[in-house]
Amino acid sequence: MAYGTVNADVIGTSVAGSNLGAGNATLMKNKIINGACVIDQRNAGASVSNVAATATYAVDRWKYYGTSASKFTIQQNAGSITPPVGYINYLGFTSSAATVVGTSDIYVFGQPIEGLNITDLAWGTANAKTVTLSFWVYSSLTGTFSGALGNNAANRCYPFSYTISSANTWTQISLTIAGDTTGTWLTTNAIGIQIWFNLGSGSTQLGTAGAWGSTFYYGATSSQSIIATNGATFYITGVQLEVGSNATGFEYRQYGQELALCQRYYEKGSAGAGSRSGDNICYTYINYKQEKRAVPTFAGVSQTLNANYTDSAQCYQAGLGSASNSLFTWTSSAEL
Amino acid sequence: MYKLSKSMSGYECVIRLEDNACIPFDPANRDAEEFASWLKSGNVPEPAEEGGTITPEWIADTIAKLLPNA
Repeated sequence: MAYGTVNADVIGTSVAGSNLGAGNATLMKNKIINGACVIDQRNAGASVSNVAATATYAVDRWKYYGTSASKFTIQQNAGSITPPVGYINYLGFTSSAATVVGTSDIYVFGQPIEGLNITDLAWGTANAKTVTLSFWVYSSLTGTFSGALGNNAANRCYPFSYTISSANTWTQISLTIAGDTTGTWLTTNAIGIQIWFNLGSGSTQLGTAGAWGSTFYYGATSSQSIIATNGATFYITGVQLEVGSNATGFEYRQYGQELALCQRYYEKGSAGAGSRSGDNICYTYINYKQEKRAVPTFAGVSQTLNANYTDSAQCYQAGLGSASNSLFTWTSSAEL
Repeated sequence: MYKLSKSMSGYECVIRLEDNACIPFDPANRDAEEFASWLKSGNVPEPAEEGGTITPEWIADTIAKLLPNA
């Protein structure tokens, strides 16, 4: 685009080959939060094993799911390999067994993107914008791997596939996907787009890659399975979903910015409560650093929740002696 | 497993017993959605220590509120 040219969402710059807006903007072009896997509030770098049939979050904003328990482990910087240049973290999956899956079993990880953050994509309309999904992957296996994009109702889906040709080598993948012109794509605080990467789901969970359809899949037919090989590894970082037909440089946000984005969905902290004279009950008022997407699930050791809002919580602890105090940790989750 | 809870201020939530987390009755909360799906499967939570009974009507209303599209 020529210098100074303006269309609906792109402005040509004086730097050859660069534009502002659409997929070339340097600010908030990436729909993925924590794409470089730097924030790990829950596990702080520790390894965890998947639990049965429960979607669980790993590093912030990235959740995983396995039909049966203990089939793989998840860890920030698993295996302690050198990340791609420009990155210090990645999310690692390691197979815990040579698992033979049932046809409908699901073994995946992915990220749900809040609808409020995809309004510009206009998916579900004739003006649906093309997006590009890019990421770095490293696996002990080679072959065709896969994943899928879908909507909140799970009745629109685009399975995708990609190739890892060299084992144990960081490979950058770029996939361009034409926006879906049909279906319902929420632009609310619910899931706008769900992105999944397949780790070895059963055959009925996999569909034909490269086309939109109304059946929901978690990956592409005949794609590689990590969990089928004991000890197999799959590492990923630098995940970016942006408007446009080309992958542009990864959007490096400042650490505090990325943390704040994550805290809209999950936040943890500690608080102290001093006793109230007379009834030995400690009240604590917590103002969240970030307003939550929805009224969150609150957990505080020994605490009873007295009020719960998107921006704050009030809790109390009974049974404390007069003039005593309590220090406790809490978590607040409004994940998608 | 779940247990209902009612605070001194009257705030009601459901306690997920595995981690003692307090889940609000908000259809936008995914934990609440899971609780409603659990209810829909025929399960019944423990009543709150503060009292109260869990009726079929309460279960039906809760499912309808938390799973409006079900």
